[in-house]
Amino acid sequence: MSTSVEILPLVETVVPVDQAALAEQVRSAARRGQAIYPLGGGTSLDYGLPPRQPGIGLSLAGLNRVVDYPARDMTITVEAGITMSALAETLAAERQRLPVDAARAQEATLGGMLATDFSGPRRFGYGTLRDYVIGINAVDGQGRPFKAGGRVVKNVAGYDLCKLLVGSLGTVGVITQVTLKIRPQCTSSAWMLASLDDLAQADKLLEQLVTSRTTPVAVELLVGADWRNDGTLGRSFAAGSVRLAVGFEGTAPEIAWMIEQLTSEWQILGVTETLPFESVDAERIWNTLTEFPAKAPLALVLKASVPPSATVAMIQSIRDVDPNCTVQAHAASGVILARCAALSGEQVGRTLVRILQPAAASRGGHIVVYSPGAETGLTRQAYWGLPGSDAPLMKKVKEQFDPQGLLNAGRFVFAP
Amino acid sequence: MISTSTISLVDELRKVVGTRHVLASHAEMVVYECDGFVIEKRSPDVVVFPHTTDEVARIVRLCNQYDVPFLPRGAGTSLAGGCLPVGGGVMIVLTRMKEIHEIHLRDRYAVVGPGVVNIWLTQALKGTGYHYAPDPSSQGACTIGGNVATNSGGPHTLKYGVTVNHVLGVEAVLADGTILQTGGPAADRPGLDLTGVLVGSEGTLAIVTKVWVRLTRDAQGCRTLLAIFDSIEDATNAISEIIGACIVPAALEMMDQGIIQAVEAAFHFGFPLDAQAVLLIEVDGLEAGLDDQRDQITQLCRGRNAREIREARSASERQLLWKCRKQAFGAVGRLSPSYCTQDGVVPRTRLPHMLHRIADIGQRHDVRIVNVFHAGDGNLHPILLFDERDAGQVRRVLAASEEILDECIAVGGSVTGEHGIGVEKLGFMHKLFTEDDLAAMGRLRQAFNPTGRLSPSKMLPTAGACAIEQISPGRRAAL
Repeated sequence: MSTSVEILPLVETVVPVDQAALAEQVRSAARRGQAIYPLGGGTSLDYGLPPRQPGIGLSLAGLNRVVDYPARDMTITVEAGITMSALAETLAAERQRLPVDAARAQEATLGGMLATDFSGPRRFGYGTLRDYVIGINAVDGQGRPFKAGGRVVKNVAGYDLCKLLVGSLGTVGVITQVTLKIRPQCTSSAWMLASLDDLAQADKLLEQLVTSRTTPVAVELLVGADWRNDGTLGRSFAAGSVRLAVGFEGTAPEIAWMIEQLTSEWQILGVTETLPFESVDAERIWNTLTEFPAKAPLALVLKASVPPSATVAMIQSIRDVDPNCTVQAHAASGVILARCAALSGEQVGRTLVRILQPAAASRGGHIVVYSPGAETGLTRQAYWGLPGSDAPLMKKVKEQFDPQGLLNAGRFVFAP
Repeated sequence: MISTSTISLVDELRKVVGTRHVLASHAEMVVYECDGFVIEKRSPDVVVFPHTTDEVARIVRLCNQYDVPFLPRGAGTSLAGGCLPVGGGVMIVLTRMKEIHEIHLRDRYAVVGPGVVNIWLTQALKGTGYHYAPDPSSQGACTIGGNVATNSGGPHTLKYGVTVNHVLGVEAVLADGTILQTGGPAADRPGLDLTGVLVGSEGTLAIVTKVWVRLTRDAQGCRTLLAIFDSIEDATNAISEIIGACIVPAALEMMDQGIIQAVEAAFHFGFPLDAQAVLLIEVDGLEAGLDDQRDQITQLCRGRNAREIREARSASERQLLWKCRKQAFGAVGRLSPSYCTQDGVVPRTRLPHMLHRIADIGQRHDVRIVNVFHAGDGNLHPILLFDERDAGQVRRVLAASEEILDECIAVGGSVTGEHGIGVEKLGFMHKLFTEDDLAAMGRLRQAFNPTGRLSPSKMLPTAGACAIEQISPGRRAAL
């Protein structure tokens, strides 16, 4: 894994101990016109266009405290530098959790997760981070601190700047503190796995799931020979390179009922190669499917989003340009991650702009580079796609909060 | 009052939407001088009813050309004065944009016009196995465009979230007349989440002309319980126990004795009139898990001295229970000529404290207060009863309201959970937020609405707030 120094053109890294010190660092960088690269756990540093402008690394490692945890209110307030595993442990002590998957949770920080809007298989059942952030503190590109929202689960006072910051890749403000709405832990989970003949059959099953009597929290479509090598997902079926994995959470009787129900629903569709996975095996599958995008840091990973009904067609479009790609799709959400080993060099940008972006756009979706692997020469258009009708407004908002364009300079949709 | 430029603006608006769809006489416009917040009133200069996005854009451009303020309005059910046309100008009423454009079950979304009444969508989806989750108590009248503006909640937000959790994207007309789309049916569009910012912006950032909403799978079953308590503490402690037991009910509502009596008089459900509090608790999900949850809740309530626990035995009984809850505000009409509903939020563990304080505040100001609210969310709706013809009562109600909301802030809560800031609560923004926070919000507005012509003097206590005082001096001072 590359370090921050290898990926970012850092002249120095500072580690402020609180928001006031952090704001002072930003103000000082802004006076010098120096780029500012916020640093969390460093697990997603390669997400976004490769930065060229030298600047300071602004580490959140000094802001990692639990500020307030009133468990019975089902909220928690923490500083943004807390790791996802530390957050999970704190919540687990009260049998609670944030039901958003985090890869490399020992290192990944909440702030980094929010900036990249990371999500995993559970997003179908529980939504994404934007649904859990109810209060936020941040420092904008001029070093001006601000907050929005609050500490109660329902609150419509003032503009919801939380939404503005989630998924903004740190380009609107540096998140320093967050209040989250949280949920109780579930008591059991399981996966149902089906081995399928081809993508057409997968599409049929996905369509059927829309009216299934079961209530999955994850619907993962796995395509590619690589999945056969997986210890748990691979060992069950010898042949076939298409698998559908459906994840359940709930109480033991609910899980038992859903496994039986889905088995019979699938049987009616002629799918008999199915297996349930429970307890330790189920845990292993959650883990595998959460870690997938982080697993091979040097590979090119693309992320496409389409209306869910177009998932299979979009996967086909990606396979047309790289027949050996490994695909994990959060299929019921229309989100596709594709590890493409066959594409490299100039071919990557060309394929994206000329083939894959139009393929996604024609279905009402888009495709971005999720992890560039070894590619360093991608243009903004290749990386993030064509701007939409809301792009000029996004730029105006960005200019209000970071008029010098210093925050994660040149990395996001605002790059020249 | 009507100037020549207003006359020519009216003419031009008629050209855009047709004569029938423009109102400019005072008598016709009276109904548009306020929304559910009736304390402040101001008639717009013109009311216009566009039918298409393009018409909205043309109206907005005309307003800019004539330099008059303008604002959108749905059904006018909002409760904080979000639809008050401060400074007059053009009111753009979106109720003719009432088409349900598309329903995609496979992709679990629908596209609707802003004028679609919330319940119409639910009705259109009947039998599909899907529904639109946000169900504010006013769902029979309020529009989805208005729900987007205020980020509406409702009784089922505890499990299902509020409007913003169910809006995938919007088409909107900006303050300069530009049409744009944010978000859409495909997830995770790169860039800033402008959809998330627009929801709850109370019509001050853009005029939403189309909404992509998420559809939610119907629950296989539900259990609706009514738990009756002899003390408010016991009821609120039961709530805490249920949450502590890792149960997330679909709804967890509370009514106190005052409201129970009014509701009983109106609907004859059979509520015991001497009960201090009832909890309406609904769990939903797979049948396989529901009886367990019901039994657990029953046990927890009994452990907190519930006098009686009833279960709705049929769909019609459940419907009646919900009718009692959702129309509780209507029933209040039996108690007094006027009432004022507050919308405070506190951490749910502070509910017992808050209810004590509300009772105490009511006593001190000699104002009768009844409570019906979203207990699971900590979202209180104290209803202050008065007669608006009596100036002394009005003053006492306003003083009591302010004290209640100040207490919500003091215990770490907010002054509005779902009704909005509008003009009603502008004075609280300084108590909730610092100058820095308000400046950041002001910057956001600057990016969207730089001239400030779109719905001025709402949400943020900027220089514009003075405009209200100029319009009705003394009146505002009485607040």
